[in-house]
Amino acid sequence: MGELQGLGAALSEAERTGVEIIAVSPDSNEQSQKVADGLRLSYRFLADRDLAVTRRYGLVHPGGGPDGRDVPRPATVVVDRDGVVRWFSVTHNVQVRPDPSDVLRAIRGL
Amino acid sequence: MTAGWLAALSVVVAAGAAVAYAWLLRIALVRNHPEGYVIAFAVATMLAALAVRRAKRRRWPAWLALAFSSLLLVAGAWYNFVGARVPGGPTALRVGETAPDFTLSDAAGRPVSLASYRGQKPVVLVFYRGHW
Repeated sequence: MGELQGLGAALSEAERTGVEIIAVSPDSNEQSQKVADGLRLSYRFLADRDLAVTRRYGLVHPGGGPDGRDVPRPATVVVDRDGVVRWFSVTHNVQVRPDPSDVLRAIRGL
Repeated sequence: MTAGWLAALSVVVAAGAAVAYAWLLRIALVRNHPEGYVIAFAVATMLAALAVRRAKRRRWPAWLALAFSSLLLVAGAWYNFVGARVPGGPTALRVGETAPDFTLSDAAGRPVSLASYRGQKPVVLVFYRGHW
């Protein structure tokens, strides 16, 4: 969640309305809503319960969750108005997420 | 520095690093350098070892500090270099190619499709592990 908050804080008001930040996880809608409410964020939280989308993106970490559950590899993707991937970052350590300034640079460079 | 003070300093460095990391997690510079806490635990362990060497009469504070800091060092190093590791490998992402389209439900149960943003606004997709 630190990444989402860092990103939100780094974007200017104008930028925040001009970009859609979508958070995808296997969490159910209920759980996502709790997270969204708790953090008072205006991001879209989407539920990828069976990891179908995560799999389509090649981002599954097999057995990486508790009970050996499959989980997503944390990643950030910047997609432009034409639906084209312009920048992405996949982490090698769950504690580490891309620097908001790197994401910002990618957004501002669109 | 006496053994007592060294032992105390060791505990302050170790506990302080753990607390500081947790507390400052929101700051990218802190969060993205978890090896920092491993280094701090290593420093604390060295301070405690020094305390054990110097202790003449009351030895238990030095040994306690050594146990505390080395425990944090082992646990912290294991977590940072093993437990928190995410495997590498290719993704389906290619810069310059269209992002795979999808439709998923949002928190209100409404379907949201990535393609619907085309011609509207850029999208930042953040894949995260979720909470359990």
